[in-house]
Amino acid sequence: MPQITVEELAALMKKAAGVTVSPQQLQDKPDTGFDVLGVDSLGLLGIVGELENAHGTPMPVDAERCKTPQQFLNLVNTTLMAGA
Amino acid sequence: MSEPKDRRAAVTGIGVVAPNGTSTDTFWKATQEGVSVLDRVTREGCEHLPLKVAGEVRAFDPAATIEERFLVQTDRFTHYAMAAADLALDDARLRQADTPDAPYSIGVVTAAGSGGGEFGQRELQRLWGKGSRFVGPYQSIAWFYAASTGQVSIRRGFKGPCSVVASDEAGGLDALAHAARAVRRGTDVIVAGSTEAPLAPYSVVCQLGYEELSREADPSRAYRPFTDAACGFVPAEGGAMLVVEAAGTARERGAEVRAVVAGHGATFTGASRWERSREGLAQAIRRALREADCAPEEVDVVFADALGVPEADRAEALALADALGRHGTRVPVTAPKTGTGRGYCAAPVLDTAAAVLAMEHGLIPPTPNVFDVCHDLDLVTGRARVAEVRTALVLSRGLMGSNSALVLRHGAAQ
Repeated sequence: MPQITVEELAALMKKAAGVTVSPQQLQDKPDTGFDVLGVDSLGLLGIVGELENAHGTPMPVDAERCKTPQQFLNLVNTTLMAGA
Repeated sequence: MSEPKDRRAAVTGIGVVAPNGTSTDTFWKATQEGVSVLDRVTREGCEHLPLKVAGEVRAFDPAATIEERFLVQTDRFTHYAMAAADLALDDARLRQADTPDAPYSIGVVTAAGSGGGEFGQRELQRLWGKGSRFVGPYQSIAWFYAASTGQVSIRRGFKGPCSVVASDEAGGLDALAHAARAVRRGTDVIVAGSTEAPLAPYSVVCQLGYEELSREADPSRAYRPFTDAACGFVPAEGGAMLVVEAAGTARERGAEVRAVVAGHGATFTGASRWERSREGLAQAIRRALREADCAPEEVDVVFADALGVPEADRAEALALADALGRHGTRVPVTAPKTGTGRGYCAAPVLDTAAAVLAMEHGLIPPTPNVFDVCHDLDLVTGRARVAEVRTALVLSRGLMGSNSALVLRHGAAQ
């Protein structure tokens, strides 16, 4: 199954949480916390929901508890890999 | 207990986002000129509904003043609240750090009657159209009556006491009274008021059950309280936020005490029992005057509830006579909301804003679209009336039976 890229995550952060961040920024500083970026817990929950709908597969409950884009991408992509 | 600081509740800032103006200056200009902006409902999805006339806020672009991450998680009524709060705080020249115990010395109180209907409708359509997995998480907070208080406090970093009043349309005045009490009890500043956004299709359909709603299609005839042609009220969106501040705190930081929230009374007489609202409103007025230590003759202007239902208009006119005696038939009465519509909880807050501005300008704004008053009232119609206004009485009733009265004293009169 395809992996989630920084481009896709940046687009989802914009759509679900109204936060504008460039893919490059996510690439360069993947450990910057979601809280610092302006994504709150409901925003992250919305991102998880969008991903689940787009990929037709449930994400682990821990996905919405991730603190950074790096953690999130690792977890989500591991999940997608396992489901492939 | 001795309290050195003057803890009277002063109004030091006004922020308005209304159908007739999206700044306090434009609002006052339109209000004192008696401009009516009532017009055909144009909001998408509302055109075919039997509500034909409303007061829409058209000159407002939320994205121009509010960050996108707050916009995506909030309904239009909260957009208005955030923008109005910004305007009020700017007007008061108050930044978060300007009070001694900031940010814990600044709180927020709002009233809401309609909630976030537009946001809620969109998410409910996703629920039934696509399934529960397509409902966004912000639905959990955006529709809710408390959303504006929460978002204003989060966005501006205010950590003082925050609350929401859900007491019907009169809640707009109750919120200001609640803010005044919080200030008297020790909080330096409360950002208080109400904004509403009841003009989305779902919200309009909810209102169609109100017998009091005007179905008239001619904007100049749709809302004419206190006349033989009264045929109900016209709803509106938008509202106002005020900065209510301890007079001592205001003075310390060199801010002007523009008015003082001096007295408040609230009663309940049952939904749509307008005849009984006479007694409830009169009692609310008496309580407000007593708290303000104000004699009936001292009231220089009354901002009427002006529902536009003959039975309710009669009850209000009689309540004024009951509570103010002979002065009730002589005091100038106005209802500028006939030019903007009635924004539920926001309506009496806009009236309060107009009352403060009336005191400052020595000018009582008129009641647009209203001529030939059929009650024993001195209703200001046509054009604004020049008058020295030191004390204003603002009245509000809700469709569910709440009645409130608020007494304001001019800052310079203190």
